[in-house]
This record gives sequence, C-alpha cells and structure tokens, in this order.
Amino acid sequence: MLRSAVALVAALLIATMLPAGSGSAAAAGAVEVTIAEVDLDGPHIATTTVTVTNNGSTRLTRLNVSFKGPVGWAVQPASQSWSKAVSPGASATLTFKIQVPAPRPGFRIRTFAATATYTGGDGAGTAVGTRTQYTGEALPNLAAAYNNVGVTDESATTAGDFDGEGNSFSAQKLAAVGVTPGGTVTALGVDFTWPDVAPGEEGNVAAGGQAVQLSGTGERLAFLGSGSSFGASGNVTVHYTDGTSSTGFFGFPNWSFQEPGTHGATLVASSDGRNRPDGYGNAGIAYRVFAHQVDIDPSKTVAFVVLPSSPSLHIFDMKLAD
Amino acid sequence: MVDMPHPSRRTVLGGTMAATAVVAGGSLLSSASSVPARQPGQKSMIGVPFEAVDTVRIGLIGLGNRGMGMLSGWTAVPGAAVTAVCDIRAPRAKTAADRVVAAGKPRPKEYGGSATSYQEMLRTEELDLVYVATPWEFHYEQGKAALLAGAHVGVELPVATGLDELWSLVDTSEQTRKHLWLMENCSYGRNELAMLKMAHEGVFGEVTNGHGGYLHDLRALLFSDTYYTDAWRRKWHTRSIASFYPMHGLAPIAAAMDINRGDRMLTLQATATAPRGLADYRERNVPRDHPSWQEEYINGDLVTCLIGTHQGRVIRAEHDVSSPRPYSRINSLAGSRGIMEDYVPVGGSSARVYVEPDHGGHSWRDFTPYRDEFDHWLWKTVGSQPNPGGHGGMDYILQWRVVQQMRAGLVPDIDVYDAAVWCAPVPLSVRSLNNGGRAVAVPDFTRGRWADLRPGLDSRQSEMPPVG
Ligand SMILES: NC(=O)c1ccc[n+]([C@@H]2O[C@H](COP(=O)([O-])OP(=O)(O)OC[C@H]3O[C@@H](n4cnc5c(N)ncnc54)[C@H](O)[C@@H]3O)[C@@H](O)[C@H]2O)c1
Repeated sequence: MLRSAVALVAALLIATMLPAGSGSAAAAGAVEVTIAEVDLDGPHIATTTVTVTNNGSTRLTRLNVSFKGPVGWAVQPASQSWSKAVSPGASATLTFKIQVPAPRPGFRIRTFAATATYTGGDGAGTAVGTRTQYTGEALPNLAAAYNNVGVTDESATTAGDFDGEGNSFSAQKLAAVGVTPGGTVTALGVDFTWPDVAPGEEGNVAAGGQAVQLSGTGERLAFLGSGSSFGASGNVTVHYTDGTSSTGFFGFPNWSFQEPGTHGATLVASSDGRNRPDGYGNAGIAYRVFAHQVDIDPSKTVAFVVLPSSPSLHIFDMKLAD
Repeated sequence: MVDMPHPSRRTVLGGTMAATAVVAGGSLLSSASSVPARQPGQKSMIGVPFEAVDTVRIGLIGLGNRGMGMLSGWTAVPGAAVTAVCDIRAPRAKTAADRVVAAGKPRPKEYGGSATSYQEMLRTEELDLVYVATPWEFHYEQGKAALLAGAHVGVELPVATGLDELWSLVDTSEQTRKHLWLMENCSYGRNELAMLKMAHEGVFGEVTNGHGGYLHDLRALLFSDTYYTDAWRRKWHTRSIASFYPMHGLAPIAAAMDINRGDRMLTLQATATAPRGLADYRERNVPRDHPSWQEEYINGDLVTCLIGTHQGRVIRAEHDVSSPRPYSRINSLAGSRGIMEDYVPVGGSSARVYVEPDHGGHSWRDFTPYRDEFDHWLWKTVGSQPNPGGHGGMDYILQWRVVQQMRAGLVPDIDVYDAAVWCAPVPLSVRSLNNGGRAVAVPDFTRGRWADLRPGLDSRQSEMPPVG
C-alpha cells in the first residue's frame, strides 16, 4: 500500500508536509499561499485546499487563484475567484479537485502549484505556493542509474550503444588520454571519478528524469558526460533537505561534430575514433568527453537530484563542488 | 420467415435532422447544441449508484450473432441470472434457453414470434437488466421501453441513431432513475484501458489529440445471406451517408480525454469518400440474381469525423466497413510528451509508443512494457482467468463489470451521457455532410455537468460480492 510520503532512504525521511518549493517560503508580511496535502492513493478524484493568507497590512481584494497539478493531471477548476475581501491576518481557503492516477512504481515527484493574483495585501499583486510530494525511493547513487553502454573494448564492440546506432567510445583510446575505469578525471576544478565498470557494461546514465540521491552542500553541481545528439541538454532539479528545490540548465555537445563550447560545456578529453558494431573505426575523428555545471543554493543541504529528461545527454559522473 | 418491420422514417438518417437550418453567416451549425428543458423533478443520473441487488435478473432482446455470443457470458458471471430471452424469431429464443439450461442454469422464459414480443417480456418479467442486441433500427425504441419498464439497460452500438432519440434516452433515464449505457466492449480492451491509465498518469503530457475508429472489412458478411438477419446491416448502406459505427474506436479516446468528466465534445466536421467498396465487391463476388443487385449503396467507404473539444483537443473518428483492409480501431493518443499507436506492431506487441523522457532518437518502441505497467485491475483479475467471452476477453470483462456494479451498488463506469455523446456522431455526421462538411455543434447531454471531474473506466479495484 502506498503512502503519500515515502522514505528516500532509511536515514533520510522526507515528510509529506514539506513547506515545498520556493513560492511557499514567504517573507514576513508577504501574502502566503499554501496547498494542503493531496491524497495520492489513486485512481480517484482527490480534493485539496489552497489557503491564501494575508500577512500584509492592507485588505486583500479581487483574489483569484489558479491551480495546477503534475502534467496531464486534470484539475477542477483551473482557477477560481474569491468574492470577499481578506483582512490583514486573515486567510481565504479555496477547494480544488484533482484527478489522481493509480500510484506508479519508482520514485515520483508530484508537484502542485497555486498562483494567487490580488490587489492590496502586501501590494505584490501575485504570490505562488507549491507543494511537492514524493512517492517511492530515489536511486541510491548514479551507478544505480547506469542504463547505457558507452564504452567498449576494441576486441568486443557489439555491446556498445552510446548513440542509438551501436557505436561507443573505445576503452583503449580513452585510456590513451588518461580516462580509465575508476580513474580520476579533473575538470572545472572538480575531481570526477570515471565509472568503475568494465568495457561493454552499462556505465553511464542516459538522462531520463531519474531521481538520484546526492548528499552534501556546495555552490555548484558539476557533471562529466557527453552528448549523442545535437540537443543533449535539459534542466536538472536539485532538491534540498528542507523540501525546496532549484533548477539549472546544462548540456553537452554531440560527442563528435559539434562545437566543444556548445551549451556552455568544457572539453575534457578527446579520444581518437570510436568503436562501431563491426569493430574500431573512424580513426582521426575525435570522440569527446565534456564537463558542465549548474549553480545551486550553497546555504542548503542537497537531498537528491532529478536529472534532465534528455536521453541523448549521457552522464558519467556528477559531484557537488564549492 | 418472419417479416421484419420496416425501419421508421425516423431511423432513416438525415431525414428530419438534416433539414435543420444553418446559422446565417456563421461557419458552425449550432441548432444541434440547444439543450431541451428537463421535466419538473427530472434530475441528472451522474454519479447515481445502482441500487444493489443480490442477483441480477437479465432479459435479452435479440439473439443473433451478438446476442447469442454474449449469452454465455451473462450465464457465467457470478450473481447473474438470465431469466428471459426474446427474439422476433421464436426458434432463436428456444435455442438460447436450451443453451442456458445446458450451462446448468434454470431455463429462462422464452419470448418471440413477433416484433412486439419484447414488449410482452418487459410487461411480464421483473428484470434488473435488459440487454439489447437487435439491429440498430430497434435500439432506441427497445432501450427506452426497457427503461420505462423499470429495468437498467445495456444497449449494443449505437444506442440510437437520431439526436432527438439520444436526448429522449437521456431524459427517460433521468425520469425513470434507471441507467442506460452503451455496451461498448472495446472501452474494456486491454490496450485501451492501459492507454487511459497512461493518460491519467500524464505519460503523454497534456493530451492534445486522439484517433479511433472502426475499420473492419465486413464486405463478405454484409453480402452473406446467413450472417446479418435479413441483411439489415447492408441495407443501412443504401439509406444514408453517415458514420454509422465509429464508437469502438471513439469511446476509448473520449475516455482518455475525460469527455463528460472534465472535457466535452464541442464541434464535429465530417467527410465521406465516394461509395465504391460494396458495389465493386458485389460486381466481383455476388451472383446477378442476388437481391443485393436491386440496391444502390450510397454511404461513403471512409467516413471521417473530426471532433473538437472544449480543452482544444481534436479527435479523428473513422468508419470504414466496405474496403479491403486488415482490422483496426486505430487507438492512437498523443500529447505534449508522446504518443501511442495501436495496431502497429513493434517488437512483441501489437502497438507502439514514443514518450519523453523514456524515449528519444525518433524511433518507435514496443508498447508491451507500458501495457504491463498500466494494466487495468480488471485485466489482472477477471481478464487473467479463463472466460467464455469473445473479442479476446473484453466482452466478458464488460459483462462481469456490469454485473459487479449492479450487485455492489456502484456507479456505472459508462452512463447515459457517455452513451449519448459517443453515439452523437451518427446523426451529426449526417448533418455535417449535408452541409458541405461544415462544423456542427455537439450537444452537451450532461446539461452543464461535463466539467465535473468524476471517476469512470479508470476505476479503483473492488470485489464481486459473494454469491449466495
Ligand atoms: N459490441 C460488439 O462487439 C458487437 C459485435 C457484433 C454486433 N454488435 C451489435 O449487435 C447488434 C446485433 O448485431 P448482430 O450481428 O447480432 O445481428 P443479427 O442479425 O445476427 O442479430 C439480430 C437479432 O435481432 C433479432 N431481432 C430483430 N428485430 C427484433 C425485434 N423487434 N425483437 C426481437 N428480436 C429482434 C433478429 O431476429 C436477430 O436474431 C447490432 O447493434 C450490432 O452492431 C456488437
């Protein structure tokens, strides 16, 4: 039976009643929007409430609240108005219905957002509240998310499929430029660890929105990887232990044939040629590994990371760094 | 040989309905959207549960291919009892009764011999459920009569062929407080239900479009002298240009878009190809002295309805039973994050899928892992047991679910509003085609309740009440 909040790991329990999201961290005196817990044990039509609290110093009027659930989840109504004025210190509570699907296996993040527009109150005219609820468990580490064979031995190339066409990095040629299983690859001031897997085994993550636990603090989150298309980029969301999150955009150039600075990436290593299903080939052409990073909130502790939804973006390692 | 009653003028599509005026200067024919007033005391049937009964006493009207095929399921569902059987051809009622006895159940009462035998059955028997599986031209009058007799009614496709008839069924259901629904078995298809659950999960993102239909080469059956009684189905092709039977593909798409449960069909535009298939088939396969040579086929081989919804979605519903082609109900649903298409084999499954973030590289994937993950509880329980139902098991699942809902006092998955709007393309396609394919308004049979989120086919698992 599924509960609306589930342990990420035994040691790290994230409760359902998280203050959730940037919008709910209201400054003193600000209008605050909060969303009550949503019963995620579908399929059913759940009801939740959005409370708009007027912490401002003047009456709040012409309140309208729009409400959204996860993509594809129907809500009713999409928005509604509050006909009465909300005095300073008082609040208005509006009810919304949500079509909640049956619980889905795996780690799921369900985010609900309510946007209030109004006159008066704190004078800001708009306030946003979000609520994030989790079900299932995030993957314990990046290795648990490995889902792609990106490196093969030149004597056994058929297992490789970095690019969806059966091609892969050559383990020998990577070693020739200092990239070996379990070895250190330094870039952007970060000591990355190259996946400690044998050639021909899954050893990178084709990013598909996987949630991966990552513990610690830092000013940035750095990635080692490469792209297998010309659009290997997307948003990574960093979730903190206080239930808030931040988002950063990054990407890698295509492993070959694309400017090394594409998406703002940094070239780390160039290996000569690649392994194709019929053996080593394309000598003289560089197949490359890159690094990139996103800023995170250094005042918070990271709990887990949700990778971009961009399967041609391959990640060999990720690390928090100052 | 029993004389079949002639279909009344009302069942000849495009008769009274086609005469409705076009909105001056506008591009939308809107008069179809006018909502008739309710009678005093008449209330919605939305969310109304069945009154729980221990045993569901069932009467069957129409014992041809379909009625006889469904008989074994009705006989087998726990807590169901076939207590009366009726066919205008009395020997069919006797055969049906014999089969019930052969299945070890009490002999149902037989009714037959005339076009009005069913009325006698409804007058005489106390029935909880009437199942209508006669030719299309009789569905409306028999369904309505069964409601008025105090039974709930499951009607084969379509429940009626005229807009006024559809409204009349809605009103009669609301007045009698009895449910009437479309026995839309494909809504319980395994892929269709998985598609619905995927849509609710958001796998397709915001759903923007879907396609369904009934593409079934029926030519041999239509010209058979023994299959459709008195060739009733072929005769419809001499009467009207219409999408007669798109519901098997339309209903699952409508369900996945929450039509009547958060969205509604707003407009319908129809196109029809020239009628070529039946005449060409007859030319090549039917002897010159066959009665069909007196007929002229006017319905387009491919009739397509484009339906626009309030949420900005588009549904394409197709109907083609007169062209050579493999079977398909299309079953395609797409949105901002991906698409599935049924009847297009990839890998081991009959369907293909492409959804972000799971997939990339512009290549289709096998639907099987999704079908397995989003398998509906009815398939995991009832569908996994051997059962007597046809069409891969979905017929029996529909019958089991109907009986379960009636015995447990649940709200039906499919109600009269779903039945009406799913069948509305039959008359609306005629209206649109009679007006050069212009958009016609689709009535809101819920009378304003379409926006309410409420459960439907994506139901929570529940048990069949124990028997005895
Ligand atoms: N849901 C499905 O998958 C499915 C499959 C097949 C047929 N159908 C539908 O079932 C219905 C019947 O089709 P069919 O193929 O069985 O046709 P059919 O001709 O084999 O059977 C029709 C039966 O109705 C009887 N009948 C006609 N008028 C009657 C009356 N006034 N009172 C009592 N009985 C009467 C006929 O004698 C005949 O036995 C149609 O609506 C058809 O579209 C649905």
